[in-house]
Amino acid sequence: MVLHLIIRRLFFLVFVLLGLSLITFTLSHVVPSDPARMIAGPRASPEAVEKIRKDYGLDRPLHEQYIRYMAGVIRLDFGESLSSRRPVNQDLKRYLPATVELTLYAMLFAVVAGIPLGVLSAVKRNSLLDGITRTISVLGLSIPSFWLALMLQFVLFAQLGLLPDGQRLPIGVKEPPTITTLYTVDALLSGQFGLFLTALKHLAMPAFVLGFGSLAIVTRMVRSGMLEVLGQDYIRTARAKGLEQKTVVIRHALKNALLPAVTVIGLQIGLLLGGAVLVEIIFSWPGIGRYAFTAIQNFDYNAVISVTLIIGFAYVTVNLLVDIAYVLLDPRIRVT
Amino acid sequence: MTAEPRVTPEPQILPLGLTERAARRRGPLVTLVDFARQSPLNLLALGLIALFVFLVVFGGTLAPHDPIKPNIQLKLHAPSSTYWFGTDELGRDVLSRVMSGAKYSLGVAVIILSIALVIGVVVGALAGYLGGLADEVLMRLTDLFLAFPALILAMAIAAALGRSLQTAAIALTAVYWPWYARLVRGQVLALKEREFVEAARALGASPGRVLLRHILPNTTAPVIVQLTIDVGYAVLATAGLSFLGLGAQPPTPEWGSMIAGARTVFREAWWYISFPGLALTLTVVGFNLLGDGLRDYIDPRTRRRAW
Repeated sequence: MVLHLIIRRLFFLVFVLLGLSLITFTLSHVVPSDPARMIAGPRASPEAVEKIRKDYGLDRPLHEQYIRYMAGVIRLDFGESLSSRRPVNQDLKRYLPATVELTLYAMLFAVVAGIPLGVLSAVKRNSLLDGITRTISVLGLSIPSFWLALMLQFVLFAQLGLLPDGQRLPIGVKEPPTITTLYTVDALLSGQFGLFLTALKHLAMPAFVLGFGSLAIVTRMVRSGMLEVLGQDYIRTARAKGLEQKTVVIRHALKNALLPAVTVIGLQIGLLLGGAVLVEIIFSWPGIGRYAFTAIQNFDYNAVISVTLIIGFAYVTVNLLVDIAYVLLDPRIRVT
Repeated sequence: MTAEPRVTPEPQILPLGLTERAARRRGPLVTLVDFARQSPLNLLALGLIALFVFLVVFGGTLAPHDPIKPNIQLKLHAPSSTYWFGTDELGRDVLSRVMSGAKYSLGVAVIILSIALVIGVVVGALAGYLGGLADEVLMRLTDLFLAFPALILAMAIAAALGRSLQTAAIALTAVYWPWYARLVRGQVLALKEREFVEAARALGASPGRVLLRHILPNTTAPVIVQLTIDVGYAVLATAGLSFLGLGAQPPTPEWGSMIAGARTVFREAWWYISFPGLALTLTVVGFNLLGDGLRDYIDPRTRRRAW
């Protein structure tokens, strides 16, 4: 049954990737700009521009260009970035890990803080803590991330000097040897504890800002899930059996209340990957969000399409994993 | 959130959708008061929204100073009795700019959602009602747009069509319509099998009439809740695009582009970045609270355990 789900989703994945590439490709080619002129630079002679047009195949009809591009993509070759003149693959290898690490920490923060907050706020309903939690969860959905980021930079960096205002590591600090490409993990694996702390300090602000919205959503889901579960008969039974409050809440209630939260957490990961643009720009975070923004500014469409495809791919894959997890966690769910 | 003892009997609450009709019978004002009395948060939501809607309409006219004309001598003055919110890097009154900005930030969000709603309802209703191949094609198209990284799609469209508030609005419409298509389709699928629809059909109503008069009116409640919450998100997204330079262009006093302008000087001028951000946050808080409140008001099952 799970297999059936996976196969159906794989078809969907192929469809999504084709669709995304087609839309982005069309969008980037209606742009009133001349990529050949851009590559050649403003002072190039018309002949040089023509030559580049030919070399890059930009003189071919659109559908031919598209097919050529997609033929590359199938071999995982995303072409050459028109502005950096490097293969897009190389750029992605450089920028993707930064986004992945940022997203993971943002999600970690949202989950580690969100689940206990949601549980406590449901158990101690209408208490002060509940009030604070609910305020946080409304604010988390309402504060513009770019504004929050700037305000935090102002207070924590400019005023108090507690945290750095951007980048993955201070300028001049050597990055850890590449093992997993995540700085914090690599620093630990290579035994550089100081470097680990430095990297963590750099992650703190951007991960907090990026994760704040997800924190609000996770807290909400867990709280309302808990409230629903806590009112049910089997909880009363568990209490009547004389079980401790802690056991009832954690072993009996939370387990069932978490199910809807799992879906939300999965969806959030997908959304965060694509939503990191603003945070990455403000914190000079060298991730694919910022890369995509620069690429869009420069009409560097090979890069734009690649980022779109990768994020789309991640989004659909994460969704699939969530669905599988759901089926495995809840035997009552039937795949349709 | 304990409700006061009521004089009027608890309004009959109703399967989704019927609320509308009940509201009409009781008059909108009564419903509004009833809604506001249910929780102080509802009252706060209505207050905030009333304030910002007022600013959308009258903000530009009531602004105490010219929001556009620079006055370099007054550059970056701290808040004072003449300039309550201080002045910006070109000496313009921040209060006047925040007031006139409401129409760009909130006004545009409302336009975006109205168009997204129309597209979504048409696609969703057709898919749900026709079923079969039409459903398959329309819904896969919807899924495709949902899989698109929203901000990147919006950025790509905005960049391709040129930088302006209009193209940002078009871009965000492309982001929002699929949610409505999905929502409406689900509702239509569920309603299609209900007895009253069958009855209408048995009486010889044409498919168009069944859809327009019997099914769609009953999808309004969940759609309104979704719309309310989305207004907040659309405000944030519009401001985000403008912040990136892909939406409103200077000197338009749009809140997101004001924050972008304040970014370079915010260490000297806390007021310049604070007030537009605060206006944005409060607008979105208002709509989020209203959405939560409406959901509880409409759906009795979530009453009291609501947010």
